[in-house]
Amino acid sequence: MKISANNESIIDQWKEEPAALLGVLHAFHDRDGYLSEAVIRDVASGLKIPLAELYGTITFYHHFSQSPPGQSAPRVCTGPVCCLNGSAQLLNALKDQGATAMACAGRCDDPIPVLKGHHALRGTDNASLEEKATPLPARNPGNIEECIFANIRIPNRAKFEGYRDSGGYLAVDKMLNEMSPSQVLELMTQSKLAGRGGAGFPTGVKWKAVAEAPGNPKSIVCNADEGEPGCFKDRAILDYDPHAVIEGMIIAAYATGAAQGFIYLRYEYPQSFALLEEAIREASEAHYLGDGIGGKEFRFTLHLRRGAGAYICGEEGSLLNSLEGKHPFPRNRPPFPVTHGFNNLPTAVNNVETLAAVPQILAKGPEWYQSLGLNEHAGTKLISLSGDIEKPGNYEIPIGLPLRTLLYDWAGGPKAGRSIQAVTMAGLSGGYLAGDDLEITLDDPCIRSKGSFPGAGGIIVYDDSRNMVEAAHEAMAFFAEESCGKCFPCRIGTERLTERLARDAGPTSITDWNAEVDDIGTTMMATSACGLGMAAPNITKSLAKYFPDQVTKHVQKSP
Amino acid sequence: MVSSQSSNITLDGEPVSFSAGETLYEIAKRQETIIPTLCYDPRLEAFGSCRLCMVEVDGIRNPVASCTTKASDGMVVRTTSPAIEKHRKVLLEMVASENPDIAVDPLRGYASQELGTLVDDYRADTGRFKGRQSGQSFQDDDNPFILRDYDRCISCYRCVRVCAEQEGDYAINIRNRGFNTQITTEFSGTLKDSSCTFCGQCVQTCPTGALADKKAMRAENDPGEIKKTRSVCPYCGVGCSVDLLSKDDRLVGVQPAMDGPANQGALCIKGQFAFDFVQHNDRLGSPLIRNEAGELEKTSWEIALDRAADGFREAMKTHGRQSIYGVASGRTPSEADYMMQKFIRAGFGTNQIDNCSRA
Repeated sequence: MKISANNESIIDQWKEEPAALLGVLHAFHDRDGYLSEAVIRDVASGLKIPLAELYGTITFYHHFSQSPPGQSAPRVCTGPVCCLNGSAQLLNALKDQGATAMACAGRCDDPIPVLKGHHALRGTDNASLEEKATPLPARNPGNIEECIFANIRIPNRAKFEGYRDSGGYLAVDKMLNEMSPSQVLELMTQSKLAGRGGAGFPTGVKWKAVAEAPGNPKSIVCNADEGEPGCFKDRAILDYDPHAVIEGMIIAAYATGAAQGFIYLRYEYPQSFALLEEAIREASEAHYLGDGIGGKEFRFTLHLRRGAGAYICGEEGSLLNSLEGKHPFPRNRPPFPVTHGFNNLPTAVNNVETLAAVPQILAKGPEWYQSLGLNEHAGTKLISLSGDIEKPGNYEIPIGLPLRTLLYDWAGGPKAGRSIQAVTMAGLSGGYLAGDDLEITLDDPCIRSKGSFPGAGGIIVYDDSRNMVEAAHEAMAFFAEESCGKCFPCRIGTERLTERLARDAGPTSITDWNAEVDDIGTTMMATSACGLGMAAPNITKSLAKYFPDQVTKHVQKSP
Repeated sequence: MVSSQSSNITLDGEPVSFSAGETLYEIAKRQETIIPTLCYDPRLEAFGSCRLCMVEVDGIRNPVASCTTKASDGMVVRTTSPAIEKHRKVLLEMVASENPDIAVDPLRGYASQELGTLVDDYRADTGRFKGRQSGQSFQDDDNPFILRDYDRCISCYRCVRVCAEQEGDYAINIRNRGFNTQITTEFSGTLKDSSCTFCGQCVQTCPTGALADKKAMRAENDPGEIKKTRSVCPYCGVGCSVDLLSKDDRLVGVQPAMDGPANQGALCIKGQFAFDFVQHNDRLGSPLIRNEAGELEKTSWEIALDRAADGFREAMKTHGRQSIYGVASGRTPSEADYMMQKFIRAGFGTNQIDNCSRA
């Protein structure tokens, strides 16, 4: 089919680019405010994608609109923390502008985010909405040594000059002059750095697998699709220290032999997108990206891509499918991305936080990094703390820090007159901890011993004024909204659990209610195809464990 | 490459050898061990969505989907256990809960009984897990062939995958996500306005009857049992195997033969849906020739063929051998084409032969 003249230049500009689809769709979405039928037909034709497939893929993403007012209408965050801060009222107040709800947009430290056009506003009511920079992470009171945040408060650190002046890119310089790729791999393995997106896979081992896997070009993918409710740590890194992530990716590329990299950034961070675009431009001008990096025969190109509103795209298989322009379902594993990643070629998918730690580790050594953890634990972890707490924000903790120390000594404890009823782990995915189980240390083995997991490090605090069944309902509604629809247990289970937590359906006998909810949760955990469906029942399981009385009251109250 | 060393897994306590690349599901099927599934079609790439084919593997914490898990040497696999059976039953109860009812007429399609059979086998309580229904039927799609009764859809996407992987049409896809997923054409339109060729393969792979054969369903209320008779599609020379569905000796529908050597479950719109001519009132029951008044009347094959031969002779006598031109039907197999050219070349001495499928 003939492509219309006014669409041709955008399509021509993108069609030979790697991972073109998201780029071309955003170009049109930005131009028109929505994706018209004519544009979709032309993109299908230009990129040679079957029309039905492209249409289906576009409908998968929350933020791709197909009609006016499209992206100029406000979208109001109704995530778990914004719910606590009155997002329902704000949404209602903006209804006359065509406002719609969106899932957690990662601004839980400074609610409530509202997206409008290219702007990410924040405020708690219509009058206070403004564009505002990401809150800078506070120092911890004990002056405990940091890794990721060590330099983040240096003014101008986000710019190349400022980064360079505060020791930036020295790790790459040192590496290129003194180290072989295998030495870098060895050093990373020794440091015990593990995936900070939540999976905890040893970074050095992952990179080694990519280095050894056959097939070229290899890729480094930075997973910046920070979609977990209550998680906003990557935004702080990207906004204040973007070059650290870029430097980490360059080191990863050198170690693995990758020639190209992608940063897959979530849609809801337009400010971060602009900052990253600028940082990539600066790094290219300084010859840290492109051909002949450091005067060596080392080539690494970096591409920035923007998601379009889909939590599941933080799952690496979905992310890779999304980058490739496919329907963003998770992939069956094995094979893993280290051998069959982007375009079915070897790929290291690393979280923002993991990559930001790499230059520090290379500069200061693996022993230094290991020593940052408490007891036998290696390194640090960023925690996004939000909800009913005096000082919400991002904190870099030594792994193994007692939760109580973080909550009370670092973050000032609950609001005046309140006590902490529960906290979430892993944003929402780890479910709730309460009672004696708040006496944990923040490390994988300890959190797992309570049936939860640390994940990407989001902790939402609920004080004693909150109804935990309502909180659980909002959490499950999020998982239902974000379930991709591929595997049966997650697609149906998240919906049925949401209905039961809302009392829209389900038994009125507490015994039957518990049996249904438990059976659905158990089967979801055991049989779901990816982490979303496996983790979602942590909400109902922990609710039943810590708050049986609230559950009984919920089930038995008259409708 | 297949390793020359023999590789074995232990399947339900028995050692079984396998070749490289085989999945646990394929090995179990070969061993006649039945594993339930709803999203699997042996012709398609394993998808791993229904999760019913979960099996336990020693050393792996969660059960794995046997359809997507390749065997590796030494794997110890259990295709059933109380825990696995419980998961399967819960999964079936969850699937049943998204549809209004499960029982459908087998005339709807080849695989239409799969969900109902499993629900019965597992004595799944279809009333458990009640809640919102998922799919929404597309009642305004007035094409004469395919019913889009998505109220019964369980989002296994076998239709989408068979359309892409087998037919190469890419006419349908998945709209939205999660519990709101729907099967869709581009811009949610009708099949007629899409690139659908009405081959009917989506209908025949649908495990719930959500996609159904409208033509066969005309006979839903006809008396009599459905009888299947293996035959070969008469339309073209490919020779697709079909199962003719009849009730009381009347042809009511056609289903592709999944084991048909030429088609392996595929048909085209004609073989699948265009069978009305068989019992049509206008269908010729005997040869007709024109009488002296120019009207057609019934006659015997002997007389009719003689009349045709006279016509050929007359043409040749009057206009010469170059006036004869033989065109084979697209429906003929190679043997009949051979006969035709021999007849024209040897019988009339001309090389003017052709086949209608040439164009």
